[in-house]
Amino acid sequence: MRMRLKLKTVFVLYFTVSLLGLFYALMQLGAGQRCDCRDPDLSKDQQISQLRGELQKLQEHIKTSELSKKTDVPRIYVITPTYARLVQKAELTRLSHTFLHVPQLHWIVVEDAPLPTPLVTDFLAASGLTYTHLYKLTPKDRKLQEGDPSWLKPRGAEQRNEGLRWLREMGSAAKGKEAAALEEAVVYFADDDNTYSLQLFEEMRYTYRVSVWPVGLVGGMKFERPVVEDGKVVRFHTGWRPNRPFPIDMAGFAVSLRMILSNRQAQFDGDAQMGFLESSFLQHLVTMDDLEPKADLCTKVLVWHTRTEKPKMKREDALQKQGLGSDPDVEV
Amino acid sequence: MPKRRDILAIVLIVLPWTLLITVWHQSAIAPLFAIRKVCHHLVKEILIIPERLTIHRQRLADDGTETRHDTGPATDSKEYCSQDKDIVEVVRTEYVYTRPPPWSDVLPTIHVITPTYSRPVQKAELTRLANTFLHVPNLHWILVEDSQRRTPLVTRLLRETGLNYTHLNVETPRNYKLRGDTRDPRIPRGTMQRNLALRWLRETFKSNSSQAGIVYFADDDNTYSLELFEEMRSTRKVSVWPVAFVGGLRYESPKVNAAGKVYGWKTVFDPHRPFAIDMAGFAINLRLILFKPQAYFKLRGVKGGYQESSLLRELVTLSDLEPKAANCTKILVWHTRTEKPVLVNEGKKGFTDPNVEI
Repeated sequence: MRMRLKLKTVFVLYFTVSLLGLFYALMQLGAGQRCDCRDPDLSKDQQISQLRGELQKLQEHIKTSELSKKTDVPRIYVITPTYARLVQKAELTRLSHTFLHVPQLHWIVVEDAPLPTPLVTDFLAASGLTYTHLYKLTPKDRKLQEGDPSWLKPRGAEQRNEGLRWLREMGSAAKGKEAAALEEAVVYFADDDNTYSLQLFEEMRYTYRVSVWPVGLVGGMKFERPVVEDGKVVRFHTGWRPNRPFPIDMAGFAVSLRMILSNRQAQFDGDAQMGFLESSFLQHLVTMDDLEPKADLCTKVLVWHTRTEKPKMKREDALQKQGLGSDPDVEV
Repeated sequence: MPKRRDILAIVLIVLPWTLLITVWHQSAIAPLFAIRKVCHHLVKEILIIPERLTIHRQRLADDGTETRHDTGPATDSKEYCSQDKDIVEVVRTEYVYTRPPPWSDVLPTIHVITPTYSRPVQKAELTRLANTFLHVPNLHWILVEDSQRRTPLVTRLLRETGLNYTHLNVETPRNYKLRGDTRDPRIPRGTMQRNLALRWLRETFKSNSSQAGIVYFADDDNTYSLELFEEMRSTRKVSVWPVAFVGGLRYESPKVNAAGKVYGWKTVFDPHRPFAIDMAGFAINLRLILFKPQAYFKLRGVKGGYQESSLLRELVTLSDLEPKAANCTKILVWHTRTEKPVLVNEGKKGFTDPNVEI
């Protein structure tokens, strides 16, 4: 008798407890559904400023991270000619994001302008990169006019030569440890609208004379490349005029600084025929035999010759005519 | 013979407990486990650190001197795992990335949704996009391919970046009636992919409303400044800012009054749309996405330029919008477009090696 009574009470207790537990769980669920989207402004602002502080710390950490401490790898000097147009700031911005990942990179930006522009000056100062800001105006007769097809005249020759001039000047003045560092440095010509993978810079870093690799989306083909046999470049796989001395795109080679300093007459010929700009420079420096193939013996594409569309400005032009154009103080 | 009473008793004991457990499991515990699984999965993906950095560091540590090594790219995944085995153990307890910035427990995560499709410039676009994203702390990249299956190109690329990512895919149905292999023109490009990402977010972060996150739709050919991501991180509901090179103008921008509220749109193309803004011009707080689980981009019957409105009107009103970028006076994102490369010579001198990935 007593046993059964006990069991009954236990059962009843058990049942009530479970029911209560179930209700509790349902309440929890119900509470979770409500969205607490409205937050008291004050405490959120505090949190925001705390977050901003945290972010600053993280950004500082990034800037002074191992990349800058890595001083024992050869330096890469990247010469980028640039000119003012609508997409200039965008191109330079995303280019800088790539360069920020590369240790020991020194960016030489040469503007096609009579004076350094505020846009580029401010941009470079805020970029976080090690840079040199130069400028050199292309003479009118060599400059592409509005409406000229892009292949009519070679572009950027004067600017790249200006970059070379600065390097040679710096090279002569360098002494001691700095001069030793320059012995191992590499020079690369990077246009501001191409796309570069991070691995590319590690491939080019150790160049003795001139190193070469494939370039994607150029010459009317998926990629152009030097053809390598037994570790040597024997010819070039290209879709356009393969009989040029060096049928290779500007983005497809890097030159050691040593070669540039010891061959002072090596320049880009601004009057060269279309497609011969690279050859006009390289033929002073090397023969095909001396080229060092990179990127897995020129089988991998690590750089792409992308081009950015000119943004359509029909409505903007229409507004400008009415005097209602967008605020020119807003930098684009 | 068990008595009927006893059976009844047993059933009545077991029933509330099973109910409790199933209900509890559905609501609270499962998301936690799912998140842990997702996190673990993410952590594992993060650990495929780009080989250059690790190999180089290891070599320096071993030799002490800088020797010239021709380090070929480590394409074999086994090589990755064996080198990073030690680091895997460490990272299980806390998020530590070498190339992306260290994960912060305080910053809201930015979930960047990028639809993409195969074409010659795809790898280039994703590469430079990844190079930008690698600078942004607490970024989670949700890349959705417009394809039947996830392609090896994108899979490999994502793995090698070292970013925190999720790789999804959904194919926009093709319109076979039209000549060629064009997609259904009634569905704007990228819509199904963005919707899939939204659904993924809702399934992954179910009711766990304490997860601070911001959702941003980033197309793979635009250009983003790093400042933009910090501006959007403080979004409470939906934040907006100007976008360059859209609508045939230098830039389109929301109109902001003296009180700091959005009251209109500075565009020429149909400024009377509910939200006359480009996909790259706004970001949404994750909580809002989870709170309104029915809000998606409209698939069909959307007029040109109304796609963004089809989603935003289900989430906010104009007065709820938060203007960023110095009250919408600075340009932090550019709607750049990449030229289609001319491939006329492909057939002429013999096809380029199809095995080489571009």
